[in-house]
Amino acid sequence: MNAVLSHWLPAWALARRELSSYFRQPAGWIIIALFLLLTGVVFAFAVLVPARPASMRAFFDASGWLLLPVAPAISMRLLAEEFRTGTVEGLMTAPVSTPALVLGKFLGSILFLLAMLIPTLVYPITLLAVSDPTPDIGPILAGYSCLLLLGILYLALGLLASSATSNATLAFIVTLFLILALLLVGTLGRQVEGTLRDIIFAMSLPPRLSDFAKGVIATNHVAWFLSLSALACAFAMIFVQWRRWR
Amino acid sequence: MVVVDDVHKWFGNVHAVRGVSFELPAGTVAGLLGHNGAGKSTTIRMVAGYITPDAGKVSIAGHDMTTARLAATRQMGYLPESTPLYPEMPTRDYLEFRGRLFGLSRAARRKRAEEVIERCWLKDVRDRRVGQLSKGYKQRVGLAASLLHEPRVLLLDEPTSGLDPSQVRETRDLVRELAQDRTMLISSHVLPEVEAICDRVIIFAGGKVRAAGRVQDLASSTGAAGYVAEAKLPASVSLSVLDNLRNIAGVMAINTSSLDAGWVRLDIQASRESGDLRETIARAMPASTIVRELRPKAASLESIFMRVLEQAAREEGTLAPGANSQSIADAAASNVAGGKS
Repeated sequence: MNAVLSHWLPAWALARRELSSYFRQPAGWIIIALFLLLTGVVFAFAVLVPARPASMRAFFDASGWLLLPVAPAISMRLLAEEFRTGTVEGLMTAPVSTPALVLGKFLGSILFLLAMLIPTLVYPITLLAVSDPTPDIGPILAGYSCLLLLGILYLALGLLASSATSNATLAFIVTLFLILALLLVGTLGRQVEGTLRDIIFAMSLPPRLSDFAKGVIATNHVAWFLSLSALACAFAMIFVQWRRWR
Repeated sequence: MVVVDDVHKWFGNVHAVRGVSFELPAGTVAGLLGHNGAGKSTTIRMVAGYITPDAGKVSIAGHDMTTARLAATRQMGYLPESTPLYPEMPTRDYLEFRGRLFGLSRAARRKRAEEVIERCWLKDVRDRRVGQLSKGYKQRVGLAASLLHEPRVLLLDEPTSGLDPSQVRETRDLVRELAQDRTMLISSHVLPEVEAICDRVIIFAGGKVRAAGRVQDLASSTGAAGYVAEAKLPASVSLSVLDNLRNIAGVMAINTSSLDAGWVRLDIQASRESGDLRETIARAMPASTIVRELRPKAASLESIFMRVLEQAAREEGTLAPGANSQSIADAAASNVAGGKS
C-alpha cells in the first residue's frame, strides 16, 4: 500500500503544480474568461428564451464547439514546454515513474477543465430558478457528462501531441487535426464498404454526441471516450519513455 | 557510492560515449573534465538516469539506475546544465513542489525548504518568482532544490557556466561547502574551478576517459617537469647561455620570451627523472647575468589536461590514421544530436 502510494504521490504533486501554473499565467485566466463570456452570451440569448420549453441544448452545443480550440490550448504546453525549457530533465531524474509523470500532467489539465466548467453551473441553476415548468434534470446531467468526457478525450489527444514535440504551437495544430479527424471521419465512412466502414464508424464522434444530446448516458459511449483517452495517454507515456533512449 | 561500468551511448550512428568506467567511493569529490562534445554531459546525464545507456551499467548507492531508477534517484541530487526552472513559480513554492516529488512529508518539506533556503542564501528571494531572479540566484535555487531530500550523491553539470565572476565565486564557495559531506561529481571545463573544489579528476576526450585520479598523481604520471627562470642576459652572451642550458643533461627544450627592461623569461622543460636541476641551471649562467627568479614549475591541472588531450589525439591518430579530426567532429556532432550533450 505504501509502495503504491509513494509511486503515485508524485503524480498528484505534478497535477497540483500544473493547475497552479495555469493560474499563475495570464493564459489560464484568459481561456476561462473567454469561455465563460461566449457560453454566457449563448445562455442569455439562446437558452433563456421566454415562451419556449426550457432546455440547455444550445449551451451544450456551443460548449462542445468551443472545446475545439480551447482544449488544445490547455494541453499544448503540458509536455512540449517541459521539453523546450529542459525542465523535464528535473522530472525525469526525480523518483517519478513515466506513467506517474504523464498521468500527473493529464490530471492537472483535467482539473483546469473542471475549473473552467464549474462556474457554468450557474446557468442550469438560473434556469431551474426562473423557468416554469422547471426543465428536466436528466438532459442537463447527460449534457455535462458529455462535455466532461469530450474535454477529457480532447485533452488526452492534446497530451499525446504535446508528448511528441517540444513545440507547443505544433502540438496545438496536431491536436486540432486529431480532433477534426474524429469529427469528420464519418463522412469518409459513407464512401466505403465492409470492415473498413465499420472501423470508420466506430471511430466517429458525432453519432455519440447526438445520443448524449437526447439525454442518454450510454455505457458503451462512456467506455469509448475513456478507452480512447487511455490509449492516447499510453502512447504519450511511450513517447516520454522513448526520450530516455533516443 | 557511484559506479559507472563500461557505459556506451550512440546518438544515431555517432558513438558519443565509448566505454566509460569509473567509481566514486563515498566522500569523493570528482571533476569531470573535457572539451565541449567530449561526452561529459552525456555521461553525467546517464549517471543521473535522464538518458539510458545503450550498454553498460550505472549504479548509485547500490541501486542500479536502469532496473531500480526510483530507488537510485532518491539517493541523488542533480543540477542539470543551465538549471531549467519554472519561471512562474516563486522560489518557496518550487522547493515545496520538488519536496513533494521526492515524497517528503508536509513537515519534512517545510523544515527542509527552510534549511536549504538558509544554506543557499535565498532568504531575500523566497517569495520572488524564479523567472525574475538573476542567473546566480537561479543557480542557487537549482542547487537548493537538488539538496532538498538530503541526497548522498550530488551531480552538478557545469554549475558556474553563464555566471558573472562574482556569481561564479558565490556558487563555487557554496559548492565547496557542500562538498564537505557528500559524494560529488561536477562536470566543468573551467579548470581552476575543478582544481579548487575537486580532489579527483576524470579527463574525457572523444567519448573516453583518458586519465583519472588525484591531481598530484596525474602530475607525476604524465611526465615532464619544468623550471621558470627570469634573468638579465647581455646580448653578447645570450646565445652561449642558451647553449649551455640546452647541454644540461635532462633539459629537453627552452622557450624564451622578452620582458621589459632587458629581462628575459626562460621556460625550461626537463624530464622528470633528471631530479632537481635548479643548482645546475644557476651554475650555467655566466657571472655577467643577473638571475632574479628560478623556480620549478608546479604541474597545473591545465598542463596535465593539455598533455592528456595531446596524448589522446596521438592515440586516436595511431589507431586510425587521419581519424583524429574525425573523432572530434563526431563528438561535436553528438553534441548536436543530443540536444546538448
